[in-house]
Amino acid sequence: MTDDDNQGQRWLDAQLHLLDRQVLDVHGVPIAVVDDLQLSEVPMGVEIPQDTPPPVITALLSGPALARRIFGGRPPESRMIHTPWVAVRDVGVVIKLSVGRDTRDLSWTERWVRDHVIGHIPGGRHTPKGENNEPAQSNERGGS
Amino acid sequence: MIITDLLGARVYGPDFLGFVSDVRFRFDTESIGQPARLHGIIVSPHARSSSLGFERSGVRSPWPIAALVRWRHRGSFLATWPDIERIDVRQIQLRAGFERGSPELS
Repeated sequence: MTDDDNQGQRWLDAQLHLLDRQVLDVHGVPIAVVDDLQLSEVPMGVEIPQDTPPPVITALLSGPALARRIFGGRPPESRMIHTPWVAVRDVGVVIKLSVGRDTRDLSWTERWVRDHVIGHIPGGRHTPKGENNEPAQSNERGGS
Repeated sequence: MIITDLLGARVYGPDFLGFVSDVRFRFDTESIGQPARLHGIIVSPHARSSSLGFERSGVRSPWPIAALVRWRHRGSFLATWPDIERIDVRQIQLRAGFERGSPELS
């Protein structure tokens, strides 16, 4: 349901294919959900000349969407976390990125809590004994 | 601009036409590693919500939901980017003589 077309082109509908999709980093670790899309500059409030090139998606935006959906309005764009579109590798049931989670701002709170809080709890820096079924890259507690 | 500025916006031609129920993007090839260009907006005369893919991809089941969604979005059409004359806050004006394209994904 993600695509297709007849002349080698591909189509995506924002609501149908992109919004609310889970975003996975290059290792397949879920890091965010797409809450919004940022477009390149569009003339607002004025007549658009007919030969104006169409805007393009510049970034996926993630951020505090729950309050907005309940109470309306929207958070300032500075509160949203931008994932540049050039980092998108594939769009399907999930959106796959070509970069790792630690290179994105998306997980900085989680990494901060891991390093400054969880890491100081005894036993907080290694996988508990007997748990062998965790993914290879998340072998530290609080890191996934 | 962000996409939620467009979704749900009221669309006008000579008169009120409906609401933006989705925004369609186009890639020039099958590859995702390309700019995703805005191709057009899907205008639904009766509903702001998404048609969940039912109307656009010919999905017919489960039939009660498909029938309900198709009824809610009856008369939907695709207005392409060249036919958009002006974008204001929560409101879009189409050019005179705009064309009503099929909203279906083939």
